[in-house]
Formats: sequence, structure tokens, C-alpha cells
Amino acid sequence: MSDSIMNVNNLNFYYQGGVHAVKNMSLPIERNQVTALIGPSGCGKTTFLRCFNRMHDLYPGHCYEGEILFEGSNLLGRKDITELRSRIGMVFQKPTPFPMSIFDNIAYGLRLKGIKNRAELADRVEQALKQAAIWEETHDRLKQSANGLSGGQQQRLVIARALAAEPDVLLFDEPTSALDPISTGKIEELMVGLKQKVTIIIVTHNMQQAARISDHTAFMYMGELVEFDQTETIFTNPREKLTEEYVTGRFG
Amino acid sequence: MATTIKREYTFDKFFSGITFAAAFLVLAIIVSIFISLFRESLTAIDAFGFFGFISSTAWDPVREQFGAATTLYGTLITTLLALIMAVPVSLGIAIFITELCPKVLKPIFSTAIELLAAIPSIIYGMWGLFTFAPLMGEYIEPILQKSFKPIPLLGQLFTGVPLGIDILTTGIILSIMITPFIASIVRDTFALTPIQLKESAYGIGATRWEVIKDVIIPYSKTGIFGSVIIAMGRALGETMAVAFVLGNKHAIATSLFDASATITVTLANEFTEADGDLYLSSLFYLALILLGMNFLLLAIAKTFLARRGR
Repeated sequence: MSDSIMNVNNLNFYYQGGVHAVKNMSLPIERNQVTALIGPSGCGKTTFLRCFNRMHDLYPGHCYEGEILFEGSNLLGRKDITELRSRIGMVFQKPTPFPMSIFDNIAYGLRLKGIKNRAELADRVEQALKQAAIWEETHDRLKQSANGLSGGQQQRLVIARALAAEPDVLLFDEPTSALDPISTGKIEELMVGLKQKVTIIIVTHNMQQAARISDHTAFMYMGELVEFDQTETIFTNPREKLTEEYVTGRFG
Repeated sequence: MATTIKREYTFDKFFSGITFAAAFLVLAIIVSIFISLFRESLTAIDAFGFFGFISSTAWDPVREQFGAATTLYGTLITTLLALIMAVPVSLGIAIFITELCPKVLKPIFSTAIELLAAIPSIIYGMWGLFTFAPLMGEYIEPILQKSFKPIPLLGQLFTGVPLGIDILTTGIILSIMITPFIASIVRDTFALTPIQLKESAYGIGATRWEVIKDVIIPYSKTGIFGSVIIAMGRALGETMAVAFVLGNKHAIATSLFDASATITVTLANEFTEADGDLYLSSLFYLALILLGMNFLLLAIAKTFLARRGR
């Protein structure tokens, strides 16, 4: 039953200056499932997440070791990073609409991919906005600036933007920590619905959120993977004492 | 207890009084400058009116006929030329420093730009007159003339004898002078672009150039606009460097190789020889127009920035 889209094998990551932020991680990422990464602040979960789309490559002095197998090859060795990033989308903590109209925010990634046909663009934009459950709120103001949307709407817009590129994997880095509970609920609902189409990896500080939406959970501590299992197991019957202490709120 | 409160009260009152006085002084100085310029200009305003003065190309101290058109033209054309050259170069510098430059070289280039801004304008003027203008006149301008003169319309800009003391040389020197202002302000606004916004663009497969063009520059529009306005204000008011290399000729020149005169240079050169009342008053009138122009520029910038800020 296990059908993994990616496999992380003995991954190590070092920042400039040799800080060893991710230590010997190995775990599978299951296709069309939600995998949550939890752990206390500074445990390396965001650093780990940013390995998947090679975001670290933007900054000098980093070093990857080990492999992340994706479609049969190690994505850490790939040269075409821009292509990789359009296959593996990312949504950040704070909503990051581009300084342009709602329509152009979504169309931007498509234009980068070389889609110029107006009808096709309009079609794909509509589809993406519908998938991200924000079409109803935006269809009559597509030409307006995206900065006029509320924080929760902006975050769904950003998700729509990531979806428009039709990625295989979406990375979420604490996507709701800057949002109110209602917007958070909408985004969580959206993520659960999206797994029909994409594989999701989410970093979250909110353990209830991990419990609510994820299928698998990885608990990290000081750069190391402490435990990886079905979410239910992690939260009800963890093997490690450290995991139990963390999920019951005794530290972190 | 009561004394403490009283002491604090007195001190607060005293302190806020001092700061108010300091702020009020600025306002008072500006208003008084405007008023005195206006009073000194009255004779010229009576004689020529407003539109009559700015549209007249006359500048004849002997017959006491004065107009602002030639110097206004010289001021605007050199400033425009300086901006055309300085803005793209400055954007390039800012992009390089914030996005492309290796970390170790960053402070070197940044300091170099700040040093460029610290060079006194008289030095630009001397360098312009003794080094740059001859270079322009002997080598660069003849080449430009050869390549552009045959082109219809555009060729008009490159007619005449290239001497090096002209509008083009002045424009280039002004552009060198304002480049550090634009580059350093734009560099700072570029650096303010949220990292996550840039990463989002990279995250959907944008290349470095696409991120610069589609995210960083649009995000920094306000800062770029503001820096251009500041630079324009400087170019309009620059006197010393321009006095050396523009040639001080009161005429509307259609070639970049012609000499011209700006308002500031005219003021600097001619106050000492202004013998008649009307001559002196006309110079004050020119100064008033320059100040009004700068004021207008600032007002436009402020309204624009306020509207964008909302």
C-alpha cells in the first residue's frame, strides 16, 4: 500500500560556516498524502523542508549530503532547479502576493512556463482559483491589486498560484501561523481536499493542526528525526519517550 | 512626590517648546526666503509679467531686456539628459550590489558609491573642464557625430563643432554626480523587498533576472521614484560643476554640442556685474522660478508617494 513519491535517504544539510542543521534524515514521502513535520523551534524542520525545492541554493556556502529520490533520481543533483521548483511548489508563513493584480499573480508562473495564449491563461487562472477555493471572492475583481485581499484570502491566492503550475508536491511552511482561526480552518480544509491532486509536506508548530490534517507525521529534534509514523500512532501511541513528551505539551 | 511631578511637567513643557522652536525655524526660513525673493523680483515681474518672462529668449543687459526661456531650457535639458543616463546605470548598480555581488565585494562597491557622492562639486567642475571636456571634444564627440549625424531628425542633436564645453558633457557630469544618490537609495529599497516574496517567485520557477524584473523592481517603485525626484532636485540646482563645462551662452540650442546656460550658473556669474535695477531684479526672478520649480517637483513627488502609500 505504500506508494512513495519521494524518498529521503541519509540526508544531511550544512549551512554556511558548517552548522549541521539536518542530521542523517531518512523517510519516505507518500504520494497524495499529507506529511507533517513537527518539532520545537530550531529543530531543523523548515531547513529540511527547504531542501525539497533546493531553496538553500539561493544562498552561498550551503552543503547537501545524501539524497532525495524523486522520479528515480536524486533531486539534490539536478541542474535544472527552476524546472524542479515549478514541479515542487512552496507556500510560506506570511502570504506573499506579488505586487501585481490578482489575475497576474496566478498567470505569472504560467507565463514563465511559456503559456501565452490568452484564453488558456484565463482558463488556467480560473481553475487554480477554484481549486484554492477563492474564485467566488475574486472573480469580479481579478484586475485589482492582490494587496487589497485579506490575509487569509492572500494565502489562498498564493496557494492558487502554486497550484496553477500543476505541481506534484506542495511544501507548506507554517502556512497558517499568521492567520486567524477562521482563515486557518479554510486553509486546512483546502489542504485536505488538495491531496487528491498533489502530495503535501507541511511544517507546523500547531500540533492540533498536524493531528487534524496529516496522514503521516515526522517528529524532529535538534536536526534529527526522532520518530516517523502514521499521524495517529505519533499522537496516541508513540514509540519514543521524547515524542510523547512533545505531543503532550511537556516541552517545546 | 508633588515636586517630582511638577519637575517632570516643567521639563516636558520646556523640552517640547525647544523642539517646536527648532521645527518652526525651518518653516520660517523657507517662508522668508520665498518672500524676500519675491520682493526683489517685483521690478522684473512688473516689467515682464510671468508668461512674458518665461517665454522670452531675450537676455540683453544693454537694452535691459530679460527672459527666462534660455536658462530655463538649459536647466531642464541638462537635467533631463543627466536623468536619462543616470537612472538606468543606477538601477544596474543597485541590482548588482543587492542581488548579484559576492558578499565580500559588497562593502567595497557600497563605499565607492558613497565616496562618489562625497566629492565636492567644484572638483567635478575642475575635472570636467581640464580632463573630461577635452576628452569629449577630441575623441568621443567626433565619433558620436560621425555615427549619428547622417540619421534624419536625430542627427540634428549632433550638429555643430564638438568642443567639449557643451550640453552633452554637462549632462554626463551631472549624471555622474546624481548616480550615487539614485543608486544608494534604490539599493536600500531593493534590500527591503521581503525575502519570502523573492523566494516565492523562485519557488514557482522564476530565474534570478525574472525575480529582479517582476518582483524586486515593481516592489521598489516608490523608492525608485523618490530617488529620481531627489536626484532631479540636485541636478536642477547644481551650480559649480555646470559653470565650468556648459559655456554660459544664452541661447536655445538644438544640438547637444552647443553651449548653454542654466539658471544657477547665470545667477553665480552675473550677480557681480548686474548694474541696473531691472537686471538685478531679473536675476532674483530667475531664482524665484528655480525655487518654485523645485517646490513644485517636491509637491508632485509627495502627492504621488502619499497616493501610493495608501
